[in-house]
Amino acid sequence: MAIDYEQEVGSAKVEQKFLYESGNEMAAYAAHQINYHVMGYFPISPSTEVAQFLDTMKASGQHDIMLVPSDGEHSSAGICYGASTAGGRVFNATSAQGYMFMLEQLPVQAGTRMPMVMNLICRSISGPLNIHGDHSDLYFALNTGWPILMCRDPQSVYDMNLMALKLAEHAKVRLPVMVASDGYFTSHQKRRVQAFAHREDVHKFVGEQPPAGFTDTLDRNNPVTVGPYMNEPDYINNRYQQSVAMYNAGEVFEEIAQEFAELTGRHYPMIEQYRMEDADVAVFLMNSASEIIKDVVDQLRLQGIKAGAISPNMIRPFPQKQIAEALKNVKAITVGDRADSVGGHGGNMVNEIKAALFTYGNTTTKVISRIYGLGGKDFYAEDGHHFFQLAIDAVVADRVEIPFDYYGHNPGTPDKAPKRLLKPMSFESLKTGLITVKQNEETGKLSVKVPPIRSLMKKPRRLSPGHGACPGCGIFSGLELFFKGIEGDIVALYHTGCAMVTTTGYPYSAHKSTFIHNLFQNGAATLSGVVEMFWERKRRGELDGLGLQEDFTFVMVTGDGGMDIGMGPAIGAALRGHKMIIVEYDNEGYMNTGAQQSYSTPLGHRTSTSSIGKTQQGKVTQHKDTAQIMAATNIPYVFTGCEAYPQDLLKKAAKAQWYAQNEGLVYGKILIACPLNWMSEDKDGTNIVSLAVESCFFPLYEVEQGTTTITYNPEEKDKRVEVAAWLKTMGKTRHLLKPENEPALRAFEGEVQRRWNRLKAKHEHPDL
Amino acid sequence: MVQLPIVNDLGFFEIRLESIGGLGANLAGKMLAEAGVVGAGLNGVSFSSYGSEKKGSAVKAHIRFCDLNTPIRDTSPVERPHVVGVFHEALAKTVNVTSGIHEQSTVLVNSAKTPEELKELLKMKAGTIAVIDATSIALKEKNRVNMAMLGALFRLCPFLDTATMKDVIEKSLGKKYPQAVESAITTFDRGYNEVKFMQFELAAGDSMPEYVRSDIGVLGFDTQSIGGSIINPGSTFLKNLSISRSGMIPAYENEACIHCAQCDTVCPDQCFVWEERIDRKGRSQMFLTGIDYQYCKGCLKCVDACPTSALSSQREKEGYADTHTVHHQFDLITQV
Repeated sequence: MAIDYEQEVGSAKVEQKFLYESGNEMAAYAAHQINYHVMGYFPISPSTEVAQFLDTMKASGQHDIMLVPSDGEHSSAGICYGASTAGGRVFNATSAQGYMFMLEQLPVQAGTRMPMVMNLICRSISGPLNIHGDHSDLYFALNTGWPILMCRDPQSVYDMNLMALKLAEHAKVRLPVMVASDGYFTSHQKRRVQAFAHREDVHKFVGEQPPAGFTDTLDRNNPVTVGPYMNEPDYINNRYQQSVAMYNAGEVFEEIAQEFAELTGRHYPMIEQYRMEDADVAVFLMNSASEIIKDVVDQLRLQGIKAGAISPNMIRPFPQKQIAEALKNVKAITVGDRADSVGGHGGNMVNEIKAALFTYGNTTTKVISRIYGLGGKDFYAEDGHHFFQLAIDAVVADRVEIPFDYYGHNPGTPDKAPKRLLKPMSFESLKTGLITVKQNEETGKLSVKVPPIRSLMKKPRRLSPGHGACPGCGIFSGLELFFKGIEGDIVALYHTGCAMVTTTGYPYSAHKSTFIHNLFQNGAATLSGVVEMFWERKRRGELDGLGLQEDFTFVMVTGDGGMDIGMGPAIGAALRGHKMIIVEYDNEGYMNTGAQQSYSTPLGHRTSTSSIGKTQQGKVTQHKDTAQIMAATNIPYVFTGCEAYPQDLLKKAAKAQWYAQNEGLVYGKILIACPLNWMSEDKDGTNIVSLAVESCFFPLYEVEQGTTTITYNPEEKDKRVEVAAWLKTMGKTRHLLKPENEPALRAFEGEVQRRWNRLKAKHEHPDL
Repeated sequence: MVQLPIVNDLGFFEIRLESIGGLGANLAGKMLAEAGVVGAGLNGVSFSSYGSEKKGSAVKAHIRFCDLNTPIRDTSPVERPHVVGVFHEALAKTVNVTSGIHEQSTVLVNSAKTPEELKELLKMKAGTIAVIDATSIALKEKNRVNMAMLGALFRLCPFLDTATMKDVIEKSLGKKYPQAVESAITTFDRGYNEVKFMQFELAAGDSMPEYVRSDIGVLGFDTQSIGGSIINPGSTFLKNLSISRSGMIPAYENEACIHCAQCDTVCPDQCFVWEERIDRKGRSQMFLTGIDYQYCKGCLKCVDACPTSALSSQREKEGYADTHTVHHQFDLITQV
């Protein structure tokens, strides 16, 4: 990926080279040159690539950062925090919901003064879910106590990442530092970038090792108590120290930026001013949009308008003095905030700029506030012209007509308003009576009768056609089959994942009955709430007029790693015993975010964060046995299934419904194919999951009231195949069949056999 | 340094690729940009439209080239392209692929049609149409559509050097798929050599259509229901997913069908249409009547699942889906 140019690199004192890379690539490139000790991470768009690039580089031996795939951002932040107390260098990258999930950890990191560097690849926060770029996550960072460096393009992502570490570790600062760049606009756009040619020069700049003499939980001769219980009157003094350190960070950054400029020829003052020397009107924007506006300034200058643009390279500490100074002679400025502080009469930036002007006695510059570009809405040059026009109008009128407003929103036209198209599915069509479930009075166990699948074609599908999943996606064949076994009405809740995003792309929904999406990790808790409200409102007689003929069956659908990040809430819901089903479509990875490893990814399987290279051959740990974990919560019913054994899955769905309506929580796992990321043919999915069953990697069984029954035993049917027969069907596993990977293959086979043996023992002994 | 044939006000030569996820337009865009920046010594930027839409749905890639002294500040999508590359001609049905073109623009289409037919299909008033049958080339050479398209795009970008590109192909594919290098280069060459051009003048008195910004939603703050809830359940049935098919289609032969529903069980896209009838023994029974191709993405799982010869796969011929589709009957509130 590196491209060397034999070109002059300006006045730089350090040897540099040209690369053609995106912001995410440059964040990873800087991190690999620094060679951090530890990165704890969790996939979320658009920041995930940073970990992916680092994993690829690690697999080819380019660095030795310990990359720790966590079970959610709260954990990734915890891993990073723990690592940062332990004396080494720590790195992370996240976005939006990931940032929100780790938020609790961040002031702790700052308040206990543990340096690290985290890249925030800015993205809008839910809900509704939006994966594109704005600054709504960034604005939550303003009060965490982290210095925040801003990046307008891939070059500054690289540069800031080098300066951030030096800033964080500085004796006068000792704070974790955030490096913020714009999701997609910067993270995914490739540009020509200059980078240090030699790692030694990077180390010379940031220091070979972190400075000594600070908290180190691994220093056995100097035991230390980190994170004590501290009430008044001491806490305010801790916070004062932190405040001093934060303001120091501003001064220290300027020193570092100076040193960096001498080395590289690239200088980052706290605020960047473009043609501001004599500007009458100005626009303030941050990051990527602050580059576009420069073209607008140039165009306006050609027309004789004294326009200028201003943007910060650092927003914590806020460059109050520098901004006041820059605006001293400006007649009007439009401040664009790419996130709202809802109800605050302006976004965070405009209000801080107004405070800066007031503090420095400037009561004449007119300030216009506009919220723009939310959720990744593009910022075009013509939008920049509009912002300048607002400032020009204010100068001409000597007043600001509309001090605060949104820009780029539109009312829509009434004739395009959504209209209800489909009738609700009739209850009779859903309650066919074709499936019967009876409880054996003696054993308490259920016996189920299902008809040939052909008869069930009569039942309406729960989903409309037209969803946006990939060709050959196993999710919806698996889910529809499962739903065929459920009679009557359902309310469904899907975790964030492929099934959710491909069925709910606004303004369309594939769901014919009520559907809820909340967050990636919180579905089980959310559906618990819906279930309890159902029973409570039913008890109060409040549902009588709503057309309900029989109780709803509440179904939560999860997958794409949702049972990693959502494990805690799922176990909580199981232990509380809500009457609901959790069904997991297991595609063996975080396929929704670009095929990162999840805990259900088996040993040796290739994903975008378990790469294949000379130092690594796929995932290094064994797969999570979620069904057994859920069975250990002693819920009434646990099952596994797949579309290759339809009758088996239908029966389990019917049982699941009975238990979820009569006893409590049910968990089921359906193995489904992901042709794109399993690197298999679209048409092969059914066959591949079938081989997973026949190789005993994915046994079909159920745990009913604590008793395990294998519902399909390939050994008894003489159908058992080698694990390799399954692995050779997928591009993500073919490397495991090479002679050099034989130890990994044997280890995996051994684990499959061990789990299968244990399952057979459970099958034979009802007490196990 | 090489000379760009034409640039806009900001100094950019702009390319937009219109494709569906999975055809490799994103990769082609990256390689094209790399050829300009690394090979030709230009300044450049490249990016794709990103969403959570998956393989098979419409995507765009954007490339800007300029000379080394031109700063690249613009991050917005290419709205006024000098070159458009359409990776799948059926895209024209659902996407305005020629949005924002100039009279001087060239629109390259992966198609077996003639330029005249394409002008009609794309409703182009003027401009140059370039045609390459990339799908046939890719099938023949056992390589990917994007390589043939890339070859043709190189013809449209004379400032790029094909030798460098072959080098890039070798390097980028060589690591992961060394066996694919040779066929990729042949496919690229065929794309370069076999592209056909035809220029169409603007009729006297006529003007090119105004471009419409791509970031204006159909619904607005007066028409969205609050909180983003969708009050129109099941509305995805309005969508047409036929562009997701990449050449192959399942064909259904009713006579050979035993109505076992194996196909429906494995179908990810709810394509199979059933009806309830009385069978020979006088019982009410479900019968498969056909496939609603509007939703079929051509994965062919059903063909694998079919125990008889009722389902088979074939190369999709123009018009086949339209003439053979059996539509789902939706229970509409008002029949339209």
